[in-house]
Amino acid sequence: MEKKNKMEKHGRMKAHRVSKTPNFRKSDTKKKKKKSMKEMKGGRREKSGPHLPSSFLKEIGIQKPISNSSDQVEGDDESDDLYEYVEKLPEEERKENRRFDQVENYDYELPEEFEDEDVPSDEEDDGEEDDGEDDEEEKGDDAEKHVRMLQSITGLPAKAFEDKPRKDAVLSDIHGDFGQEKISINDLLDPLHGTTGYSKLRKRLHQLEKAPMAIQAPLPKVEKEKLERKVAYEQSKKDITKWEPLVKRNREAPTLFFGEKINLGVNTVGAIAAGHEPRTEFEKKMAELIGVPEIREAQKNDGFKILELNKVSIEDVRDRQNYLAKMRSLLFRHEMKAKHIKNIKSKTYHRILKKQRQKTASSEINVDPEEAKELAIKQEFKRAEERMTLKHKNSSKWAKRILKRGLKAQDDGTRTAIADQLHQHALLTRKMNSMNENSSSDESTNDDSDYLSPGSDNEGVSKILNKAKNKTIKAMEDEDEIPKSGVFSLPFMERGLKKQKDAAFEEARLALEEYELSLGKLGEDDETGPSTEIKTGRRVFGGIKLQPVRPNMNHNGSDSEGDFEIREEEDLPKVEIVQQDVHIRSALVPDDDIETGQETIYKEFGDIVKNPGSKTTYDVAIFASDSWRKCKQMGDKNPSENVKAVDDNIATSSRDSVGDEYNSDSESELEMVDGFLSSDPKSDDYKLPSQDDLIRRAFAGDDVEMEFEKEKMDVLNEENPQPEKPVLLPGWGQWTHIQRKKGIPSVITEEHERAKRKRDEALKKRKDAHLKHVIISEKIDKKAEKLHANTLPFPYTSKDVYEQSIRMPIGPDYNPAISIGALNRPAVVKRTGVIIKPIKYEDVDPHGKYEESKVTKTTHKPKKNKHAESKKSIQKPMTKKAKLAGGKVSRK
Amino acid sequence: MKVKVISRSTDDFTRERSQDLQKVFRNYDPNIRSQERAVEYTRALKAAKLEKIFARPFIGAMDGHIDAVSCMAKNPNHLNGIFSGSVDGDIRLWSLTSRKTVCHFPGHQGNVRGLSVSTDGETLVSCGTDSTVRLWTVPDYRNKSAGESAGNAVAPIAVYVWKHAFWDVDHQWGQNIFATVGAQVDIWDHDRSEPVNTFKWGNDTFISVRFNPGEPDLFATTSSDRSIILYDLRMSSPARKLIMKTRCNSLSWNPMEPMNFTAANEDTNCYSYDARKLDEPKCVHADHVSAVMDIDYSPTGREFVTGSYDRTVRIFNYNGDHSKEIYHTKRMQRVFCVKYTCDGSYVISGSDDTNLRLWKAKASEQLGILLPRERRKQEYLDAVKDRYKHLPEVRRIVRHRHLPKPIYKAANLRRTMIGAERKKDQRRRAHSAPGSMPVQPFRKRRIIREEE
Repeated sequence: MEKKNKMEKHGRMKAHRVSKTPNFRKSDTKKKKKKSMKEMKGGRREKSGPHLPSSFLKEIGIQKPISNSSDQVEGDDESDDLYEYVEKLPEEERKENRRFDQVENYDYELPEEFEDEDVPSDEEDDGEEDDGEDDEEEKGDDAEKHVRMLQSITGLPAKAFEDKPRKDAVLSDIHGDFGQEKISINDLLDPLHGTTGYSKLRKRLHQLEKAPMAIQAPLPKVEKEKLERKVAYEQSKKDITKWEPLVKRNREAPTLFFGEKINLGVNTVGAIAAGHEPRTEFEKKMAELIGVPEIREAQKNDGFKILELNKVSIEDVRDRQNYLAKMRSLLFRHEMKAKHIKNIKSKTYHRILKKQRQKTASSEINVDPEEAKELAIKQEFKRAEERMTLKHKNSSKWAKRILKRGLKAQDDGTRTAIADQLHQHALLTRKMNSMNENSSSDESTNDDSDYLSPGSDNEGVSKILNKAKNKTIKAMEDEDEIPKSGVFSLPFMERGLKKQKDAAFEEARLALEEYELSLGKLGEDDETGPSTEIKTGRRVFGGIKLQPVRPNMNHNGSDSEGDFEIREEEDLPKVEIVQQDVHIRSALVPDDDIETGQETIYKEFGDIVKNPGSKTTYDVAIFASDSWRKCKQMGDKNPSENVKAVDDNIATSSRDSVGDEYNSDSESELEMVDGFLSSDPKSDDYKLPSQDDLIRRAFAGDDVEMEFEKEKMDVLNEENPQPEKPVLLPGWGQWTHIQRKKGIPSVITEEHERAKRKRDEALKKRKDAHLKHVIISEKIDKKAEKLHANTLPFPYTSKDVYEQSIRMPIGPDYNPAISIGALNRPAVVKRTGVIIKPIKYEDVDPHGKYEESKVTKTTHKPKKNKHAESKKSIQKPMTKKAKLAGGKVSRK
Repeated sequence: MKVKVISRSTDDFTRERSQDLQKVFRNYDPNIRSQERAVEYTRALKAAKLEKIFARPFIGAMDGHIDAVSCMAKNPNHLNGIFSGSVDGDIRLWSLTSRKTVCHFPGHQGNVRGLSVSTDGETLVSCGTDSTVRLWTVPDYRNKSAGESAGNAVAPIAVYVWKHAFWDVDHQWGQNIFATVGAQVDIWDHDRSEPVNTFKWGNDTFISVRFNPGEPDLFATTSSDRSIILYDLRMSSPARKLIMKTRCNSLSWNPMEPMNFTAANEDTNCYSYDARKLDEPKCVHADHVSAVMDIDYSPTGREFVTGSYDRTVRIFNYNGDHSKEIYHTKRMQRVFCVKYTCDGSYVISGSDDTNLRLWKAKASEQLGILLPRERRKQEYLDAVKDRYKHLPEVRRIVRHRHLPKPIYKAANLRRTMIGAERKKDQRRRAHSAPGSMPVQPFRKRRIIREEE
């Protein structure tokens, strides 16, 4: 408040005040106040003439010039020239009533040279006018005094004195005849025509006449300030809005980059070297030496020459490089080979290698006499040494020990080692000329080739079998001994060993039997030849339909049993039938109805299958023997015999299954056929059942649909459990005697009913209610629950979009290295330690695409721009997400 | 016959140096890898857990003041240095790397309420309740170690005495002008002993002032009549006044979005406004349980830090309605001032317990130089975590924060109160004529009016 008072006081001073427009009034007044203060400090001010009040001006039809001191001066001139105006005393000065505060008049003079600042006067300046009036009044007072004085002196009436100066003034101003007419400004100007500055004045006047002249009454201060603020706000709003495209672009950008173009001040080596200055003694000396201009010059001149000499053609370099690379790779390969050979642990290999080496060495002897001589000397030396030391004559400790224990007790390896040693001794002690003899150790493989040769016949086979038999027997005999000491002597170990041995023994026995069997068969085959055809029928089975089958089987002749089994399902129906028949017959065996048949079959097989061991070995044995024989047949026998083989095959298979039946009754395939069996007519008018029929018959036993229904019911019961049935609990719900009469109380039954209804409804609501063949579990899987978002996350509006956004993996093991950076880039990329400046304005095309704007941003590495296209396509969901997140600020 | 042979160029399979990694060639056929989502989800989960494990935001405290720290200022031109003023009139310059005082600026007789540094980092302006504005030359402390200059005292280059106590000061971005607030808003020039301009709108004390860093002629003040006022220096007039239901203690302009600012309110919330549309805040940031005392934007403009009377510091996303991070220690008292460093990696808080505290802006960030591989790995983990952040398990781990008991309880209480209020409102609405109680969103409810 204090300040305000002060201001008001200042307001009394002579000062020109004006505001340009009503809108800026407040600020301008402030300025003025300040200025006035300054002026006060200056303490001097020009005394200006009286100012015409605006109302008067309006009347005469001109407007005060708006600004400019020069104008003002002119105006002053003008007013001086034209007339003087005396205004009445203002009300407050007259003090007629006490309506106005009494304010002291702080008048003081301003110096002549004081120049008013360009503050144009205005209508607001009441104070000034007051000042002017004061002056006027003073003048007036003086004149009055003067007149009074004259009156007192001369005795004339005061009028005589009073009029004089006034008249002068009037006369000087007005000339010519004017009566009723109004005086226009032009009239006033006319007499000035021709004087200096007239044209200027005229022009100015013209301007003023053109300009509008209405000036409104000032608004109240509060309103004015409000308006000012409004304008200021609108203006700043408009200013801020220019940032919008820039901000939008930044918000939509998937990544913001800060501080990318920072120079970290790392210099190149060259730059550092250039700036190097010698400091130590040594460095200085060196610099002195190097810095001598002659040396430099010489180096400069020579350097070029040397460089020129250094020139090598590209081809040469390439050739050399290639050559070096080749040599290197050869060397490397050689090295690898050597390493590989070194790593081989096989003794035979090394032996062969050694021999080869010797061979080559011997061949070399023939080639080069010099070397041959050398070698001969070496050999001689070795021979002499051998004869002296007898190193290889079983004289070593090891050999002695072995011999002491007896060669028989040793294993093969040791024996061969001993033999080798002796052989070496023989070689070494032999005379030089006989050195080249080869050893004859590779005969052993001959046997194998015999085995495999197709030309061999039964004899060979029997031989092998016999051999195998013998060996097995031998092994069985050998196995008898059990170590009596050590861990194996423990009781449980002993037991285990015994068990093992038993098993092995059993196996061996089986193998023996099998050999015998096959041997026997072999003999049979050899003896009987075609006569086996009679046997093949196995009439015991009463196979009437077997005969027509046989030729059919012919082309399958080479099938082994396993193949045959598979063929069953996919082959011709006829074959199938046959097969079935076989099975039927074999399956017939265990049935009680045909006891006699079983008996006969058993008898038939009795001699062959004496001891059916474990099924697998038996199968394998048969398979082995059969297939083995087969290849023989393929080799040299005619197709008729093939048929026999097939028959035999069938027979063995049937026999096999019979055996199975005895060993284990729970073979499913046999069970399966059970139903069919019963319906199998023995009569001749048997017809082939259709496929559907077959299937129906096949699955006659198991009711799949029923099973499924039951299963579904179980699931339903589990997920929507059935309510418990109300049972009569004596005394529960009602008194017992009443209960006895009425049965179960209604409360309980009602509750049960309700629960039942509820369950039915729940069942109806299930997704699989109308799907007969489907069970849809509605049990909530808690583990799977963890992998789903509970609700759709915020920026997404549809489930599909969200799913799509997380569909593609972003990891380095699913994406090529090029795209990983773009996929994983964080929203803000900045560097620690780099100051981030606030945003700087730049023009952004608001409708431009993001990619373009990014390029203009130039904060990107060029590399990123290169991959912009691919990135764009990959990152689409991410960009969208960012846009959604950034563009719309979440609302509360 | 054409024989297909696997051939490989040696260049692809030889390393330049023995330390180089062997190139791994992968088949990116998605049919081969059908489990990638499961794998990435697991990685996200792991990343979330690791983030929790490594979340150690507190770096260290800077003690030395003998009274509460009332204000701070960061040097816009130099990272390693922060000015702090305390209630006893002490102003200090700290080195953040050594966490020691570099020099003192003695002279103020009372509470130093405002500190600000010119954009070139040469001049420090301070003001306080002793009605003086002091200008100081910032010493070149870059090459000095903290130890030798600990006793250094700097004399002010100018002391301007004015008529009223000052509450806050802020320096204009890029020019020689600063604004102080107290009983009125004064605009000062560095070289003038008296304000060059003065604004007054209403009769209440102004509390804080902030210049817009992007648009330097614009600034805003908050005052104790619960208003936020915008000014434009070009018009040399205030522009708009907004009156809220509770007063704002501080505000901060978004340095990357010149139209937006966020005000820290007494009612525990922060309100983000668009200066062009003051009729409603763009976003309400809630989580504090007591008055928010100070706010400062990260220079990236993507997050801001707030310090509260509830003894916590929180970090918010610029558009997040809840905080993403809360920092607290057992010994930290009421937080009066917070600042983000100019590189956006650290946060500094000054509190009642006379200490300044240095925090990491990202709690689990690894300090120091990262190798490119490490950086890529971290980026990948962050990306994966961000992708699966909506799944319950990941969200639970990421969101979980351990709170001090008083804050936990206060938050619960607040929730209950708000719930009760809402319920009451709902019931009132249910029992009044339809349409007689128009629904007003919370963010609008907090505003009383906008004055021209």
